[in-house]
Amino acid sequence: MTLFDLARKNAWRKPLRTALLMLCVSVAFLIYGLTASFVSGSQGTSAASDDILGVMSAAGRAQPLPMAHMNRIAADPDVAAINYTSRMRGFVAVEKNVVAVSALDPQRLMAVSGKELGLTPELIDALAAQRDRVLVGRALAEAQGWRVGQSVTVTGFDMARRGGSRDWSFGIAGIFEGENASTDTYFMIADYDYLNAARARNRDTVDAFVVRPQASASAGDLAARIDKMFANSAAPTRTQSEKQFLEAFLRQYADVGLIVDLVVSAAFVTLLMIVINTMVFAVRERTFEIGVLKTLGFSGAQVMGLILAETLFIVVVGGGVGLGLAKLAVSFSDPALGLVFSMPVLARAVVIIVILGLATGALPAIKALRTPVIAAFRQR
Amino acid sequence: MTTANHLEPYIQLSGISKAYAIGGETVPIFSSLDLKIPSGDFVAIMGPSGSGKSTLLNMLAGIDRPDAGCLRIGSSRLDQMGEAARASWRAHCMGIVFQFYNLLPMLTVAENVELPLLLKSLSARDRRGRVEKVLELVGLADRARQYPVSMSGGQQQRVGIARAIVADPALLLCDEPTGDLDRKSADEVLAMLRMLNREFGKTIVMVTHDPQAALHANRTLHLDKGAFIEERRAA
Ligand SMILES: Nc1ncnc2c1ncn2[C@@H]1O[C@H](COP(=O)(O)OP(=O)(O)OP(=O)(O)O)[C@@H](O)[C@H]1O
Ligand SMILES: [Mg+2]
Repeated sequence: MTLFDLARKNAWRKPLRTALLMLCVSVAFLIYGLTASFVSGSQGTSAASDDILGVMSAAGRAQPLPMAHMNRIAADPDVAAINYTSRMRGFVAVEKNVVAVSALDPQRLMAVSGKELGLTPELIDALAAQRDRVLVGRALAEAQGWRVGQSVTVTGFDMARRGGSRDWSFGIAGIFEGENASTDTYFMIADYDYLNAARARNRDTVDAFVVRPQASASAGDLAARIDKMFANSAAPTRTQSEKQFLEAFLRQYADVGLIVDLVVSAAFVTLLMIVINTMVFAVRERTFEIGVLKTLGFSGAQVMGLILAETLFIVVVGGGVGLGLAKLAVSFSDPALGLVFSMPVLARAVVIIVILGLATGALPAIKALRTPVIAAFRQR
Repeated sequence: MTTANHLEPYIQLSGISKAYAIGGETVPIFSSLDLKIPSGDFVAIMGPSGSGKSTLLNMLAGIDRPDAGCLRIGSSRLDQMGEAARASWRAHCMGIVFQFYNLLPMLTVAENVELPLLLKSLSARDRRGRVEKVLELVGLADRARQYPVSMSGGQQQRVGIARAIVADPALLLCDEPTGDLDRKSADEVLAMLRMLNREFGKTIVMVTHDPQAALHANRTLHLDKGAFIEERRAA
């Protein structure tokens, strides 16, 4: 037996109470794990870049823009690099297995998005080697269980081929990792020319231009200049950073980040009070025993340590179970939800577990410290 | 029979005073108490209820402090030591046997006995070895894995004794160790205490209400009105 065993046995003296406490903690961490995965996943905007600008039609993001816009945008001295893209949404095998394909110019890809998507010259070469190749993002590849060399067929929701079929076959040329764990990699990159040449409608148009400004330039000013350039044209534009775009998109529904923070904080504050209250009771119940331990020679610090270890034990087990369930739920969730149980999510959870364990244990531990040793010999 | 060394008493109290504030009034328990107990002695302390026997034992255990006076055990001046130092002293120098055993219900017999050893830097193997040895000594080696609730009072008190001696302290303090036991169990426990005194040289101070229990000690001190009257017997 060790002091930790003693703390553990203390925790299990009332198995139902301890199990319920652990359940509370695990539910709180399940909520945390899911919401944090949501924020860190592709739906989140935290990883979205502020540097890269997207130029879309002012009439709506589904409206095409003429390719002719490109040269005029590229002529602005603040534009370092530019690419054009058409996005196809479709599904693989079953209709609810939604995937997105960004058709881009492979030659322009590296300069514009290389850093954010974690691209390498080898990946670009692999993509360009044949027209029907795609690069698949790590998140998408893992969710679908895809490997390099395999071929996949995407059925476009809107984008049909000449001849009427909506099935597009691609060979997977490589997998890109994204700049970091929270980069959205739940999509694939195809060759614009391949889609453009084969599609039935909107040929030679793009859904957006992707612009990387010069490092010294103000992205905001550049965006305003681009929109002004086309304000009176047949196809006016709306230029936003990727981050602005995603935020605006999500805010259509609600301020997701704020809601997530509120839900998670409410869950943790409630949890904190439940655990503190229960542990203070547990310590009060054991006043006499704590007196006995002190009589045997346990110091105030050791008795405090025992109570802290006991709460930590409950919070660590509960938190571990909750995070495990969250991880499980994320891996079985619909990939289109874009949940990512990333390392930062886990690391933050571990920090919260430790802080929560110490915070909830502190008050009961101080109560134990103050339990007079003399009580051991008196009343019974 | 006593191997008393009267020049160097192991326990020495001189001029001890202690008072409690009860309802705004300070009630003195002792005003100037003196006591000398040589190393290896076995002393029974008797006295009417409320005479301060438990208070005295608490002070000897380093749980309570005298208001004034000198309290020395071995080379430790308990009256001058702080809380943490006294906790450490208790862990290393003193074993205690309670009237109601005070075993922890969620621990097995062996784990209860092991408790004081957690405060020493011993390997798990050494701890197990010591626990086995003292359980053997109190005749409960085959009960190591049982829980205290399943045992009789006499057996639980033997576990209490095992816990008190497992860290091998020189001093054993017992507050009415047989107060909750039938005659037969009480005699077993007392025989065990006498054996610990004679064969292992433990100095024992035992508070009791039972004159028969006191007969097992080398001498009996009667505490009344804040002073001792000694009753000497031939051993
Ligand atoms: N913490 C305390 N606060 C106030 N008074 C106390 C406290 N502890 C003991 N007393 C009082 O001190 C006196 C001596 O108490 P003590 O417990 O030492 O007596 P005792 O001789 O052990 O009695 P008993 O034989 O009933 O166990 C009693 O009058 C008791 O009420
Ligand atoms: Mg008493």
